[in-house]
Amino acid sequence: MDPLRRHIVLAGLVVPAVAALPGLSLAEDQRPSPEDVISTWYRLIFELIRHTPTYSPPVASRAFAYLGITTYEALAQGKEPMVSLAGQLPGLTAPPAPDPNAACDEAVLLHAVYVEATKNYFGNTGPSGQRAMQAMATKLGAKVSAGLPQATIDNSLAQGKVVADHILAWSQGDGGAVIENMGFPLTFTPNKEPGHWKPTSTIAQQQAPLLPGWGKNRPFAMPSADACPLPPPTAFSEDKDSQFYAEAMEVYEAVRNLTPEQTAIARFWSDDPMLSTTPPGHWAQIALALLEDENAPAGRRAEVMARLGITVADAFIACWQSKYEYDTIRPVSYIKKNIDKTWEPLLITPPFPEYPSGHSTQSGATATVLTAIWGDNFAFTDGSHTDDNLPERSFKSFWEAANEAGISRLYGGIHFRPAIEQGLEQGRCVGAFAVALKMGAQA
Amino acid sequence: MRRLAVTLIALALAPPASAADLPLVPQFTEETATAGIDSTYTGEWEYMVGGGAAVLDCNDDGFPDLFLAGGEGKAGFWKNVSARGGALQFEKTDSGLELDHVTGAYPVDIDSDGIMDLVLLRVGENVVMKGQGQCRFTRANEDWGFDGGDAWSTALAATWEKGQAWPTIAIGNYIDRTKDEFPWGSCTPNWLHRPAADGKGFAPPEPLKPSFCSLSMLFTDWNRSGTPSLRVTNDREYYKGGQEQMWKMVAGQPPALYTKDEGWKYLRIWGMGIASTDVNGDGYPDYFLSSMADNKLQTLAAPPQDGKVKPGFIDVAFARGATAHRPYTGGDVRPSTAWHVQFEDVNNDGLSDLFIAKGNVSDMPDFAASDPNNLLLQDGEGKFHEVGDLAGVASMAVSRGAALADFNLDGLVDLVVVNRHSPAQIWRNTTTGAGHWLELKPSQEAPNRDAINGWIEVRTGDRIQSRELTVGGGHVGGQSGWWHAGIGPADSAEVRVIWPDGTADDWQTVAADGFYRLERGKAAEQWTP
Repeated sequence: MDPLRRHIVLAGLVVPAVAALPGLSLAEDQRPSPEDVISTWYRLIFELIRHTPTYSPPVASRAFAYLGITTYEALAQGKEPMVSLAGQLPGLTAPPAPDPNAACDEAVLLHAVYVEATKNYFGNTGPSGQRAMQAMATKLGAKVSAGLPQATIDNSLAQGKVVADHILAWSQGDGGAVIENMGFPLTFTPNKEPGHWKPTSTIAQQQAPLLPGWGKNRPFAMPSADACPLPPPTAFSEDKDSQFYAEAMEVYEAVRNLTPEQTAIARFWSDDPMLSTTPPGHWAQIALALLEDENAPAGRRAEVMARLGITVADAFIACWQSKYEYDTIRPVSYIKKNIDKTWEPLLITPPFPEYPSGHSTQSGATATVLTAIWGDNFAFTDGSHTDDNLPERSFKSFWEAANEAGISRLYGGIHFRPAIEQGLEQGRCVGAFAVALKMGAQA
Repeated sequence: MRRLAVTLIALALAPPASAADLPLVPQFTEETATAGIDSTYTGEWEYMVGGGAAVLDCNDDGFPDLFLAGGEGKAGFWKNVSARGGALQFEKTDSGLELDHVTGAYPVDIDSDGIMDLVLLRVGENVVMKGQGQCRFTRANEDWGFDGGDAWSTALAATWEKGQAWPTIAIGNYIDRTKDEFPWGSCTPNWLHRPAADGKGFAPPEPLKPSFCSLSMLFTDWNRSGTPSLRVTNDREYYKGGQEQMWKMVAGQPPALYTKDEGWKYLRIWGMGIASTDVNGDGYPDYFLSSMADNKLQTLAAPPQDGKVKPGFIDVAFARGATAHRPYTGGDVRPSTAWHVQFEDVNNDGLSDLFIAKGNVSDMPDFAASDPNNLLLQDGEGKFHEVGDLAGVASMAVSRGAALADFNLDGLVDLVVVNRHSPAQIWRNTTTGAGHWLELKPSQEAPNRDAINGWIEVRTGDRIQSRELTVGGGHVGGQSGWWHAGIGPADSAEVRVIWPDGTADDWQTVAADGFYRLERGKAAEQWTP
């Protein structure tokens, strides 16, 4: 195997084997480390993202942002060279500083952060998710606390909770805290003019598009939702000699003539909500597995997951601002009307406007951030979907992966090419804002 | 304000028929307080699914008796002591079925002795209970070689494979209940209990892999080939890499999944229940799959060609007004959660209607907490219209299993619903002005005395109602006994049975509003309560 190629299979992440009985005293070297706590809780977070119905991709991106920021801020307080994001992100003030005279254990601190944060961000998950969070809180809590002085435990738990609550309070005013009806408006009047989005499924709930107001949410590192504007999409036309018709024919023919490799690519990056960790979760899985692979210290893990969370959240805000600015038709609607009424895309067409491609914006932004962290031509293997029987895929760089994620939407029959190309460019612009944040834990 | 918003979008989606346009709206009178039934499905996480009702005649008096799962507590059995046409009356009876940890049950005459047996699905060991007559049952796992295993069992289907004297029972299993931190992706194998080689009892169960947390199964002859396949609906909440399934079942051969190349379509839903009937009149069974938010009504994707059909289905729920995706009354705007589903003709107009039991999984705030059960009437155009509130069955209890059956033998289908953490409810169908009806009970010599996976056909004029005789489907509960058919204004109808071996009886005319035993090779015999 190429020594530079990283192998990512998150399912393999486990807490080091320790006695499972709560209260059993563990030797210091047997206690889960802060790094273990991050990895173990993120493994559960990926499941909660997948199994909480509210968690469409934009909602998932928001959770990754706040969870990453909370983790980072919990570790960054008074810990140079880490630089707090307070003052860098709009409206974020510094969390209460820890008591310098009280001992704080980072593993317990982080555990407390996740207990409190997941309880709030995933408060609407189902009974199995609630049960899993409780089980994790109890079992992992017992392990990380084993053998520590009670005062240290109490102080660490309190500090973790206070940071999580501080970030949670800040999050409530961003416009995305409350999701009703899984993000689908109860009333919506579609634009009846040709070329605009119209429902693409026979699911009653999806006769209105997903989260039309998401582009109005408060951004994180971006100065505004329209900080990364796009050129207008190709002018709509049903003329067979038009550019729009040609772009539709490209999608039509691509789906009709898919190779096995193209089909595999489309499935690999499909990342459907409630059936996967969604596009931002897919990229978070990649990043966390790389951190695990290099045995990164907790501060670096926190910084990477914070930057990544921030950029995926910003990417969806920017993308959604553009989607509802242009409100364009999906390939399935156009092709069935103008080319072949029997045509079906390979993938499920998402229930919202087409331009730009959300996964492309996501992937452009994350490729920008991850390249800034790990560099160009950083090869890795992505096994994020092995649990779902999708084979792992290997890439020579983050941008190669991002470009593949983008073109997967054309193979899947759910996007025209300009939405992909412009989405990737929009993502590149979005990602630069997250890269510019001063953090410092990677040093 | 919220109620107004729901109304607005409902209008935009599917304009409801006015009362004058609706088929005859049935009237149901709740008799929970007086019927003598007192049963609550209890338990926490391991009982968030299940809660089945089983209907069977345990003492051969023609009246359907009732078994209700109790979850963590004990199940109960109630003997039907109703008078014909009168109020519903049951007596709790010590039957031997009072086991705990029961999620549901299906009646099936396993040993073909003419006395109905019952398979109890449990969190723990499943148990086959042999009917002894007079509403007594005894454990038969050991006598019949039935390995009840130790799982979280949530689905069952049974059939008699060709040439077999003993049934094949498929059992669906759910999550690995030891996985409290990571239950997702932990679906445990379903089991296939096939006959032992000597034809007496069951062979050791075979795992039916891959398994994806099934909540309903049904042996059904989807292509009218004479050999039923096994449809399995799966809960996508817990599987990884899964989808809906249909297994080819050929006697003596391993089961094989229908594939994409054969026409099977990739579908992933929160599958919770299966109901089947021929909605579009093409002679092939259609399937309603209950789920969360939108439900599915599937018909064949392509018409038969040269007498052959492909195993592909399309969803016509939206077009036919049967999505039942959100509460239609009570003001809760969140999506619904659907469980037991069953087609029955509740107003005897000759068209199958649809009942859906609804209820939140467990404090799941993205979904409706006040989630009324649905009663969807089918009209002559094949569209469905919600009348649960008008008919009086729009219970807001957290429902799970249910059964529609004619408990007082008046020709009108009544309703019992199992609720989680609150008492089961029962309604008597008190509709006036309903159409005529028939209730039919096919039988043949052993094995498979009840002709499972045969068909009953009822012809009025040039219209034929076809009904497959099945064991399975619904949500963890099934029934045996009289098969009901509404025939509208007709004062007689022609009936025949197509037996499981494909032999079709001759059509014979029977008068409306009667009960008929259809013994193979004999004239229909009218039965009077």
